[in-house]
Amino acid sequence: MSMIEDQTTVATFSPAELYARILRDEPTFILDVRNEDEFARSSIEGRTKLTTLNLPYFEFLEDEDGCAARVPSDREVFVVCAKEGSSQYVAGILQERGYKARYLEGGYTSWGNFYDVRDVVNAAWGRIVQVARPARGDLSFAVISGGEAALIDPMRHTQVYLDLIAEAGAKLTRIFDTHVHADHISGGPALAEATGAPYYVHAYDAIHPIDMLPAVIAYTHIEEGHSFEVGQVKITTRWFPGHTLGQVNYRLDAPDGQSGLFTGDGIFLRSFGRPDLGGKGEAWTPMLYRSLTERLPTMVDDSTLILPAHFSTLDEGNAEGIFAAAYSEVRASNDALKPRDEAEFTTYVLSNLPVFPPEYVEIKRVNIGLSTPCDGTANELELGKNICALSG
Amino acid sequence: MTSFDQTLDVKGAKCPMPLVKSRKAIGDLPVGQVLKVVATDRGSVADFQGWAKTAKNVELVGQETVNEGGQDLYLHFIKRTA
Ligand SMILES: [Fe+2]
Repeated sequence: MSMIEDQTTVATFSPAELYARILRDEPTFILDVRNEDEFARSSIEGRTKLTTLNLPYFEFLEDEDGCAARVPSDREVFVVCAKEGSSQYVAGILQERGYKARYLEGGYTSWGNFYDVRDVVNAAWGRIVQVARPARGDLSFAVISGGEAALIDPMRHTQVYLDLIAEAGAKLTRIFDTHVHADHISGGPALAEATGAPYYVHAYDAIHPIDMLPAVIAYTHIEEGHSFEVGQVKITTRWFPGHTLGQVNYRLDAPDGQSGLFTGDGIFLRSFGRPDLGGKGEAWTPMLYRSLTERLPTMVDDSTLILPAHFSTLDEGNAEGIFAAAYSEVRASNDALKPRDEAEFTTYVLSNLPVFPPEYVEIKRVNIGLSTPCDGTANELELGKNICALSG
Repeated sequence: MTSFDQTLDVKGAKCPMPLVKSRKAIGDLPVGQVLKVVATDRGSVADFQGWAKTAKNVELVGQETVNEGGQDLYLHFIKRTA
C-alpha cells in the first residue's frame, strides 16, 4: 500500500467554512498546491487577512524538506488543489511532520461551485434573497412574495434555487435574465424546462453577437415597460443597452415603498459592465453612455437598492456578505459613475477594458443553446472570477 | 512517436498519483533512459510540464494525446538525465 492510501485521517474543510472565515476576516493561511498556471488564472481571495502560498505538489516530491520549511508551522494550514487528491497528499505530509493541516473538500472546483444564500430584505410583503457564487463574484437573486417566487440571473446549479424556493413554500412563476451572460452559464433555460415557468430575456440578446446565429432555447421576449406581478411585488423591465444590446434592468416595487433595481451587468456597486464582450466595443460605448446618463436616472431614486450581478472584490459587500446598496451610496462610491462628457467617457472606457477571456464567446453559445457542454467542460469554462466589469 | 525504454501505466490514477508513481519509477531507471507514462488524467499534461521544470535529473522529452477506444490517453515521455 502506498503512503497516500494510508492517509485516511487528514482533516478537511468545506467551502462554506472557508467562506465564513473569509467574511469574518479571520487570519487564514492557504497553501495552494496547484501548478503555477492554474494558480495564476484564479485563486482564493479574502478580505485583508488571507495569506496564500503557491507551492505545486510536485515540488514536494522533489524537495519535501525545502517545501515544508516554506510553510509556517505556527498556524493552521489550509491546503487547496484542483480536485482534492494532491491537497490531501500534501496535507498528509505536513501532518506527519507535525503541522496542523487540513485540505479543501472537492478542491478548487468545489470552491468555484459553492453558493452562498442569504436574505437582503425580509419584510412583511416577502423577501429578496441573494444567491452568490463567491469564488466567481457572481450574484443572483430570488424574489419571494405571497407564495410566488421569481428568479433573477439564476446560475448553473439549479437545485440551489429549487431548494430555497421549496423551503419558502413558494412556487417558481417567473425566471428573468438581465442579459445573455458571457462569463457564466445561466440556469434559466434549464429551470424553465424543469418547472414550466417562463424564461424571460430580451430578443436582442438571443442572437450570438459573434456567430450571428439565433437562439435555439425556448424564451419569452421582454422589452422596456413590460411588467409582472410576483405576489405583492411589481417587477418592471427597463432597457439598459451597453454591456449587451438586450441588457435590461428589473425594477422592483414593493407595497411598503421599498424599491430595488436588479442591474445585471449594467451597473455594479463600484463599476459597470464593459461594452466590448459582443466584439463591438467602439459601437456600443455611446449606447452605454446614454444608458448611464439618460436612462438610469429614470429608474432609481436615492433609496433604491442596487442589486447587481457581479462584484469584483469582496470589500464591495458588507461584513455579512451582502452585495447590495442604496443608489445614493453607489453614486458616491462608484468612481465609474462620476460625471464625464461622451468623449471623456469613451476614452475612459476604451482605455480600461480588461482582457477578453476567449471562453466568453463559447459561454454565450451555451447560454442560447448553440453548444451543450458536459459538467467537466462547464466547470472549466466557468473557472476563475468574472471579468465583466471595467478594470478602471 | 518518441522512442522510449520502459512504460508506466497510470490509467485511472488521479492527481497526484501519476506523478508520485512516475517520480518513483524514474528513480529505478538507468540514467539516459526514457520512461513512457500513460495517463488518463488530463491535468497531468500541465503538471508534468511544471514538474519537469523543477525536478532534478528529469527531462520531459515529449507529450502526446492519443485516443484509444473513445478514451483520451495522455502520454508523457520523461528521461532520466543524471
Ligand atoms: Fe457577467
